[in-house]
Amino acid sequence: MARTESQSNSKFAGRWFWRYASPAAFFPLAGKLEKWCWVLAVVLAVAGLYTGFFVAPTDAQQGEVYRIIFIHVPAAWMAMVIYLAMAFWAATGLVLGTRLSFMMSHALAPTGAIMAVVALATGSLWGRPTWGTYWVWDARLTSTLILFFLYVGYMALAASFDDKKKGDRASALIALVGAINVPIIYFSVKWWNTLHQGSSVRPGSSSMAATMLTAMMIMTFAFWFYCIAAALHRLRTDIIERERNAAWLRDTVRAAVK
Amino acid sequence: MSLARATAAVFRRELQLFARRKSDWANPLMFFLIVCSLFPFAVGSESEKLKLIGIGVIFVGALLAAMLSLPRLFDEDALDGSLELMLTSPEPLAALILARVAALSLALGVALAAVTPVFALFYALPFEVAAMLALNVLMAVPTLLLVGSIAAALLVSARGGAILTAVLVLPLTIPTLIFGAGAALKVFYGESPAAELALQAAFMLLALALCPLAAAAALKISTD
Repeated sequence: MARTESQSNSKFAGRWFWRYASPAAFFPLAGKLEKWCWVLAVVLAVAGLYTGFFVAPTDAQQGEVYRIIFIHVPAAWMAMVIYLAMAFWAATGLVLGTRLSFMMSHALAPTGAIMAVVALATGSLWGRPTWGTYWVWDARLTSTLILFFLYVGYMALAASFDDKKKGDRASALIALVGAINVPIIYFSVKWWNTLHQGSSVRPGSSSMAATMLTAMMIMTFAFWFYCIAAALHRLRTDIIERERNAAWLRDTVRAAVK
Repeated sequence: MSLARATAAVFRRELQLFARRKSDWANPLMFFLIVCSLFPFAVGSESEKLKLIGIGVIFVGALLAAMLSLPRLFDEDALDGSLELMLTSPEPLAALILARVAALSLALGVALAAVTPVFALFYALPFEVAAMLALNVLMAVPTLLLVGSIAAALLVSARGGAILTAVLVLPLTIPTLIFGAGAALKVFYGESPAAELALQAAFMLLALALCPLAAAAALKISTD
């Protein structure tokens, strides 16, 4: 620890948070944050699922089926938010050249892809009884599917370089290209969808009961903390893998074992 | 002055290569032809059915054929060393890349657009639809190659470049696909394709403004 602190960049001195751009400095902090995020995620998920499944009333039109939105909507939101976060860290990495930013981007991508899959899977399970079909080429479904493709492309690109530094910068660039394209794709798909078929039933268009909204909000926070925890865990694993020969890591591990 | 000369030289070289190596344009065209003729075997040969899918099949076929020629943008130059010359040139890299992509777009776009009406005959499409489809292929090929040049530049030195290029580029071409095929569909249904054409042109201009810069950054990353 002491070794890396003494190397802190003088240009950024006086701003305490820059210190955490160093993997060595962030590693222990990430560990603490991760633990708390797991706790919050579990507590909120239990509370949110209880409210959603036992307290919230049955929907007048959809019956019990609607309860899948407590998983579906937060997952769909996270899939979008995480792409933005990923692109943000990619941009930060390209501008400032901070390794940890790229690692943060990589750590977020699989969680974002999982969220997109969860949103698609729960959406189709909801669609079967409600729309009568597992899949509709609806604007939202289609753009979530494309978002999933963008995550996969990012991860495949990052994995295809032997030189990690090159992979970092290359995938960061593609994340930015994707971020510029996401709104274009979204509005194109929306236009395309309205051209070819009438607007479909949209979840959430009717007014919601207060307990439904509460449950959904709690579940949204649970998903946030889950995603942060999962990303931090993956980040720490990546730090260990990349810095396996560094002295600070050996010291940290030794201290932890004692 | 020298910037104009450098870009003109790159542009001319690309066109000469394209003219001399017949496989560079013959293979994408053959691929296009084969893709377009596969679909009737799969869906049946009734002309009513073919009419409905024809526009989509031809447009997707043209996009795939154009995508196949993306690796030739930088891969061979990386092998024979001319990429190094481009990178060490005092002229801005983005301008040189733009010249290359422009030459390839011109050659490939014209070639693909020229055969598009012929394929439209296979699908029993009326002449106006075929003409609109050809125009849209001509407009979509530059957009695709511009966006694709970023991926091609990133993957100059990567494993499994061709398939990964497809994974990276194809999702980004969806807007072009929607409005390119959409314009021909509008004509098919007897409506005005003006909005689709305007958006198609907007995508091309946006790609023209941003992609060469991104591709230059990408090339610097991958050849670092």
